Amino acid sequence: MFKENQPPAHQGEADTIIGPSVKLEGDFITEGNIIVDGIICGTVKTAKNLKVGHKSKIFANVTADNALVAGEIQGNVKIRGKLEMTSTAKIFGDVKTDILIIAPGAILCGKCQMGDGKSRSPKPESVKQGKIDLDTHEKNEEEENENEQKNKDKQSPKK
Amino acid sequence: MYYYIYDSFLNEKTYQTTLAKIETRLTDLGINGKINRLSFLKNIQQIIFEEAKRGVKTLVVVGNDKTLGQILNIVVDLDITIALIPIGKNNHIAQLLGIPEGEPACDILSSRIINHLDLGQINNYYFLSSLVIGSKQISLECDNGFWINLEGKNNLITIANLEKQEGISIDPTDGKLNIIVANQQKKWFKTRTIYSYFAAKKIWLDRRKPVSIFLSDEKKIVKSPASINILPKKIKMIVGKNRAF
Repeated sequence: MFKENQPPAHQGEADTIIGPSVKLEGDFITEGNIIVDGIICGTVKTAKNLKVGHKSKIFANVTADNALVAGEIQGNVKIRGKLEMTSTAKIFGDVKTDILIIAPGAILCGKCQMGDGKSRSPKPESVKQGKIDLDTHEKNEEEENENEQKNKDKQSPKK
Repeated sequence: MYYYIYDSFLNEKTYQTTLAKIETRLTDLGINGKINRLSFLKNIQQIIFEEAKRGVKTLVVVGNDKTLGQILNIVVDLDITIALIPIGKNNHIAQLLGIPEGEPACDILSSRIINHLDLGQINNYYFLSSLVIGSKQISLECDNGFWINLEGKNNLITIANLEKQEGISIDPTDGKLNIIVANQQKKWFKTRTIYSYFAAKKIWLDRRKPVSIFLSDEKKIVKSPASINILPKKIKMIVGKNRAF
């Protein structure tokens, strides 16, 4: 009458479920999906997906194919596909991923690298030949802006 | 060549009718063979080794989980196919293997669907189904790589090779042991069970105070420290179509 059992969540999808009463230490390497609701200290590597629950804490470097983070990760995160951070997510470490989704309220402290760097568009020929120096070009623009500002100040009548 | 081993509890009168029906059915199917009724005075190990030397290829265990557990510990290194005809109570393994109780089990035996199943080992004991550990603050070392530390009370650990529990069906042919941690959380009048689930090939259980480990097959208790590992494709068993894996 008073018994309410929660069936093992996402059993069909997940090969490993780390519940809130479990603390896992060491190098955890697996080929399947992982759901974390407890604490992990060490290294986490999976060839598939990782889901980090909102009460969970991971003090480890994480490698996965895709990840959905709602809890806290202290360590570097390397995701091959998509990394999704919900509003309760906290990542203190460097992130390397292909696609990044960050919800408002999520915290990310660390370097963030997205994509593989190959999608960067090529520099135009004029830049390659040194005809336009991008650094001096930027400085000139800044100087022009300052001069315009000064002119405006002079033109405006003093009260 | 079939060889039948009857457990000692089948000498009770209540099982005579069932046994008579089974023997008739086996004769009809043409798979009858020599029968040995176990008793406290007989040495099972000696009997099985002698029959293996005579060329017995299929050993049929007539009894329950406990009978099968005892026989498995003896035949583990022999080239014999094991079959089961479940009778009486405690037939959880038979259910998982898809073998019905009593006379219908003869048809399963006749159809001969043979599967190579993994066998778990804890210290010197072998088990087909599962182990149960219930204690506070246990640490399990898995695959020499990571430790599972359980915090809080009401944790029940099941290390399973063949099991079906709360929707989790464990395959005894995957070469892995599955660790299921059931954590009961009580709040007022409600009890909620949260599960954790891992897979490992080798588990080491060490604890300063010895922990009781319950073997589901033989209803036996083993004390820690314990080394638990899996022996892949170790035994040949006749299984039913409605098996759980």
